[in-house]
Amino acid sequence: MTGSWTRRGFLGLSAAALAAGTAACTGATAPSGGSNAGKTPTSNNLRLFTYEDDTTIGNLKTAVAAFDAQNGTTTRVDSLPGSGAAVYPDKLRAELLGGSGPDVWRIWGGQIGAPFVKAQQAMDLAPYYQQYGWDSKINTNAIAGMTFNGTKAGVPIVVAAIGAWYSKAAMEKAGISSTPKSYAELEEMNDKLVASGTTPVTLGGKYGWDIMRLFEYLLEVSAGPDLHDKLLTGAESWDRPEVVTAFTNFKKWQDKKWLPNGALGLDPSDVEPDYVTGKAAYTLTGTWTEAQAIQSAKKSSSDFGTFQLPTGHTPERHSGFVEGYMIGARSGNPDKAAALLDYLLKPDLQATLQITSSTVTGAEPDKTKLPLSYEWTEINKTSPFYTIQDQAFPKQQADQYFSVQSDVLQGKMSPADAAKQMQTVVSAMAKQ
Amino acid sequence: MATATAVRVSAPAPAGAPRKKRYGGLTPWLFAIPALAVYATFLVYPALTSLFFSFTNWDGLSPGYDIVGVDNYVKMTQDPVVRQALLNNLIWTVVTIVVPVIIGLALATLLNGKVRGKTALRLLFYTPCVLPLVSIASIWGWLYNPDSGVINEVLRTVGLGNLAQPWLGQDSTALWAVMVPAVWLRTGFPMLLYLAALQGIPDELYEAATVDGATKSQQFWHITMPSLRPAHYIVLALSLIDSFKVFDMIYAMTYGGPGTATQVMGTWMYANVFQYYQAGYGTAIAVVITVIAVAVSIPYVLSQTKEHT
Repeated sequence: MTGSWTRRGFLGLSAAALAAGTAACTGATAPSGGSNAGKTPTSNNLRLFTYEDDTTIGNLKTAVAAFDAQNGTTTRVDSLPGSGAAVYPDKLRAELLGGSGPDVWRIWGGQIGAPFVKAQQAMDLAPYYQQYGWDSKINTNAIAGMTFNGTKAGVPIVVAAIGAWYSKAAMEKAGISSTPKSYAELEEMNDKLVASGTTPVTLGGKYGWDIMRLFEYLLEVSAGPDLHDKLLTGAESWDRPEVVTAFTNFKKWQDKKWLPNGALGLDPSDVEPDYVTGKAAYTLTGTWTEAQAIQSAKKSSSDFGTFQLPTGHTPERHSGFVEGYMIGARSGNPDKAAALLDYLLKPDLQATLQITSSTVTGAEPDKTKLPLSYEWTEINKTSPFYTIQDQAFPKQQADQYFSVQSDVLQGKMSPADAAKQMQTVVSAMAKQ
Repeated sequence: MATATAVRVSAPAPAGAPRKKRYGGLTPWLFAIPALAVYATFLVYPALTSLFFSFTNWDGLSPGYDIVGVDNYVKMTQDPVVRQALLNNLIWTVVTIVVPVIIGLALATLLNGKVRGKTALRLLFYTPCVLPLVSIASIWGWLYNPDSGVINEVLRTVGLGNLAQPWLGQDSTALWAVMVPAVWLRTGFPMLLYLAALQGIPDELYEAATVDGATKSQQFWHITMPSLRPAHYIVLALSLIDSFKVFDMIYAMTYGGPGTATQVMGTWMYANVFQYYQAGYGTAIAVVITVIAVAVSIPYVLSQTKEHT
């Protein structure tokens, strides 16, 4: 190994050697991690990149247009709806490599957003936190989810909670009158649903992350909050009975047909709405499903219900994650980009944007329009969350983790071997 | 007279004449410069850049990196997913060449004869080739749905419900299930090439063979097949290169899963470059894919060069 190079240095050298045609490759300045703040803007054009759903992108565009009218900016909003954490970051990365990239982009926290900070593509927003007082306006836990090695590189807008969302009709058909209060009751409920001819939970494993929601819950049940957190950080070995129990239960869910047939190969976007159409009883998802799955299908929220998956531990936690916005380190106008973010964080605007799990105080969902999402506002007041596992692990390790889950469900790997294999994966991650 | 002059100018130079004069000096190169510039800028330069990055630990996003020599290539030899991907590539290549070529040849032979509606049939069989691949992947994904998909429904309807499978959801069937639509959409290409080649075979050959008492089978093996040799070569060479580069169909239908069951070199390269932030390692995989594809195409290019010199 020789001394460190810079990619742009290499490109610059190559461009000089080739003399023509490639000079454009060296045109942009290197990411500076926040050093642009306060500089004279090079442009009043902004570009915002998001994965907003088709049902809400119109609201965002309208809000941004209003900001432009007030601030003399011209902001283009691009969206990649429904792409999910498996695809959207790739597109963002390609854009950043291909030029300066968007000025502002939406991204998940944890290990999904972290690479953009590590690569100095996202600005340190600490000066803007101070300028706009975001620390006092935004949920502290959510800010932690957008803080990377001490750098506040994102402004969280969503602190999402994963729980069970169910069809009341399916429950009634199975003779179920109340939601489960323990893991044992949840298993009993599943048996009743199968007996009534309904698939209990609908999840798709095509990209790994959807079916992961079940396993991480089972791990919370068997390991409890403290050990679960230590497992995610590699502070405790995965090769232990609690993890074996979680994998054993995971397999049980498939063997007892509590999951859709062939769940591993199903696309989450195809099967998750099955609880709305009546093919399944419930799914594991977040509050966005009320607007995007229930109400977009012209169904009434009153025909559906939601509950926190019972863990039997104190505190009773649920899976959760953070989403927010970052500002590009090469943005031509970071001050206006930050002003745009502050504008989007206004509580009344959050409601307009149909953000049902806002990080902003006073932006709770409207109880009359989104009653089920509102229930989660109440749950969140007493129930903390553990990091959803595709945000807890870097993508490569998350994929290996999904692969282990896949092997367990197919019977190719025993629960005990899966626990050992996971320890190997996590150990390798620690060495990197 | 102008014609005579032109003939004189383009006539070969006498033996022993200076090389420059014999090949027309710099003039041909001047005409080639625009194409060469485009080729160098958009193919040679990116290729050399990729080659360079394959010797680095660049993450694909940061401005800096270190040169790590051949570490990425060594790592590849120890990567179990690369071994699985190469095996999958091999299986994919054999199946998606042999089956479409055989079916394509059969269809071409059939549709070259006196068949009613053969124009419509040709169009029908070639249509999958022009459909957007992502649409095909989505449609076949629905067809394979374990509960509501047509394939399992048909099996249940005809009393073969025990054969119904979660086709894309288990290691044992996923790769084969993705190959079925691949075969379906690739059959039209060899069919078209064979059809063109079949129409170039003189009818007199068959008439003479018939007079000599040759059966249809004998005519096929002794007239048709030898006459199709150039077409075989083109079909096989292009299919081989295309098959080894497979990415889109697998990415869209299984995302390389379940687990890593359907990973091929292309999807594994993509995962490393774009998802795992290991662009150095990913470009090393890309270099290996390119080297294999080039090695496969060399005989074809050489043969084409010989034919035209």
